[in-house]
Amino acid sequence: MSFIPGQPVTAVVLHFQLSCALQQRIEICKLRQGEHLILGFSIGGGIDQDPGQNPFSEDKSDKGIYVTRVTPGGPAEVAGLMMGDKVMQVNGWDMTMVTHDQARKRLTKKNEDIVRLLVTRKSLEQAVRHSMM
Amino acid sequence: MFCRNQTTRATIARGSALEMEIRRGKFRRSVFLDTLQDSNIQKKIDHEIRMRDGACKLLAACSQRDQALEASKSLLTCNIRIMAYMSELQRMKEAQVMQRVALRSSDAGPTDDRLPCKGKVAISDLRIPLMWKDTEYFKNKGELHRCAVFCLLQVGAEIHDTDMVIVDRTLTDICFDNTIVFSEASPGFELRVEMYSCCSEEDYSTGSTSRKLASKLSSSLGRSAGKKLRVAMDPGACSPISNGGGATLLLPLPTVVGPKYHLLAHTTLSLSHVQDSFRTHDLSISGNEECSHWVPLYGNVCCRLAAQPHCMTQQMMSGCLKVKFGGDPQSWTNVYGVLKGTNLFCYHRQEDVEANIEPAFTISINKKTRIRASEKDRHNKAQSICISNHYGGEEVTHTLSADSREDTHRWMEAFWQQFYDMSQWKQCCDDLMKIELPSPRKPTLVTSKQGSLYHEMVIDTSDDISTVTDILARRMEELELRSQLGTSPPWMSLFEESPGCPRTHNRLPHSPLRCPRPGLLSSEASLTSDSDSPCSTSPCSRYSGWAEPLSLSSPSSHFRPRTLSLDAKLSTLRGRGYGGVLQCSCQPPSSSSLAPIPAQCVPQATLSCSSSTSSNSSSEGSHSPELSDGTPFSRPSSARQSLRNLRAKLDPRNWLQSQV
Repeated sequence: MSFIPGQPVTAVVLHFQLSCALQQRIEICKLRQGEHLILGFSIGGGIDQDPGQNPFSEDKSDKGIYVTRVTPGGPAEVAGLMMGDKVMQVNGWDMTMVTHDQARKRLTKKNEDIVRLLVTRKSLEQAVRHSMM
Repeated sequence: MFCRNQTTRATIARGSALEMEIRRGKFRRSVFLDTLQDSNIQKKIDHEIRMRDGACKLLAACSQRDQALEASKSLLTCNIRIMAYMSELQRMKEAQVMQRVALRSSDAGPTDDRLPCKGKVAISDLRIPLMWKDTEYFKNKGELHRCAVFCLLQVGAEIHDTDMVIVDRTLTDICFDNTIVFSEASPGFELRVEMYSCCSEEDYSTGSTSRKLASKLSSSLGRSAGKKLRVAMDPGACSPISNGGGATLLLPLPTVVGPKYHLLAHTTLSLSHVQDSFRTHDLSISGNEECSHWVPLYGNVCCRLAAQPHCMTQQMMSGCLKVKFGGDPQSWTNVYGVLKGTNLFCYHRQEDVEANIEPAFTISINKKTRIRASEKDRHNKAQSICISNHYGGEEVTHTLSADSREDTHRWMEAFWQQFYDMSQWKQCCDDLMKIELPSPRKPTLVTSKQGSLYHEMVIDTSDDISTVTDILARRMEELELRSQLGTSPPWMSLFEESPGCPRTHNRLPHSPLRCPRPGLLSSEASLTSDSDSPCSTSPCSRYSGWAEPLSLSSPSSHFRPRTLSLDAKLSTLRGRGYGGVLQCSCQPPSSSSLAPIPAQCVPQATLSCSSSTSSNSSSEGSHSPELSDGTPFSRPSSARQSLRNLRAKLDPRNWLQSQV
């Protein structure tokens, strides 16, 4: 996206609006396996982690929580979660500025059977960006 | 003015409310006999009085702030318990009197009082949200205004306290992790939740004065003047303990110098608030911003209030029955029936109940069931009981018949009682609510700062090795998946399938020295060259260990069987890494420490391998999940600076992944 001085930057603003609108709300019902309630995916990231090693993030200084793996057939896959999604919120709790352990804990609360995630998907953002160029 | 009462060794003001109570108690006790309950309560009162004396002494003796807060909390709890027990005693006496009066007058008709069964009520996960003003954050630089807070939960005469929590402006919610269970609560219970707070500042003398004044006083007065003021501000020799809304009772206390808790908020919960999930309730707040013990409450309390009535958890009735399905006159089945919760379980034999064998069939007894005693059957002498339920759209009837008339009567009585209990306990009888008893504390695992493997795995002491290896196996898969992403560093290729490397047990490297791939850095070569025959088994096993870390159950002659020891599994997995930890250092560290076990020559993986190797050798064959050295994954002290830097860069522990 090139910026031509003198020209209005409405295009950029529109891009931001569009990418904000492309957040997915995913509702996962936890599955009970014996003693444990599992969601069926793995997360990586956190403010205490090294963001340079995140294979999913566009911006290598992004310390957010990303979905690194989705168990096939698990509750997360059924709910539509995909690998590479960035988790923004879990049940209203913010996940953009949390440590790895805090993130894990917010997902694995024993008294909650359903977690509602707000995720952004890079592929969508990319699609938008490409379509705007 | 004061008289010494013999039952309590405290001085009581004559004419005070307490004295009147004691007098009344004495009078009552002399007229009526002490029942067992009374003596129980009396024992409890005595116990609490002793605890209170202890708490007073502790409070006077301790110097540290948090000790004083705890002691003051115990003191307050004891006081409130004493008063609760005394009012309970009072109530029991009065009930006795009423009973005697009723019996004497003999005008009471047949008391058809059916009492509902008692139950367990549990309150857990108390959370009280706070609402700090932004001025707290921005104006109040420097000192953090802190308060100590705890809750008292009361049902009848049973009072439990939660742990004390220190609250300051960095906290958004006050969370009490305790689960509190009241074992014998009636359906009409009232659970009173009271929140007490106390300002946790240095100077306790200012007590209940406003904060502004307190800060002025503490900063402006000298020590001796302050002391005088303190005494003056204390209301005499007695301190009023408020009964949480009730009458104020004067309990004699020595001048207690120390933190004083004040009631900040309270609420009352009852059966209508019971639910199997979290609910938010309103709090009534007493106090305002000017009080020193003020904490800005949002006005709600969230908690989980669950109830398990005994009719749902215990066997209410059991006995031998004959059951007939529908209207079929000939098909009587002999069963052993157990009435529990919303079901009548019918077992083939009585022994099946203890043996936990599934019942032959189950008849549900719920709000919609209709039960009636039918007329005398021609075949049976006794009456039979008809139970009808609606399953789906159909009406299904079972007919029960007991051996004798009395048994039939008892079963009917049990059913009526069950219906009554269900009507009293209402929503608690729909489904059994879970009450988690607080488990003994899980041992906190040693976590190194960098976040070792233990950091992300929570291992219960009850977990066995298979659970841990399951977790590890999952991480393995994650690792493989990551390698497929194409962003893996070059050394990841070590873990890919290659014909050269031994992948299965069968294809063992005859010379483990050829195993490393050219893609690896030179340290691999150094590893291979350094590792000579005496230790050829170790790297070999490690390699094949990396290949298949979890299926080492079929050892071959070429390497030591690292079979079931958790050390082995963890070490081999550590070798593979959860994220690919195998960092190859550019230079091998000094080979002086190599010798039989190539400890430092390879990357961290082997380092940990070796550390667990040594521990493994000592615990070979044993199934202890504990690694013998304290922090097996801590960095060895002999690591070089260059290694450290590289390690820090490549350390995948810096980007953990967790399975949820």
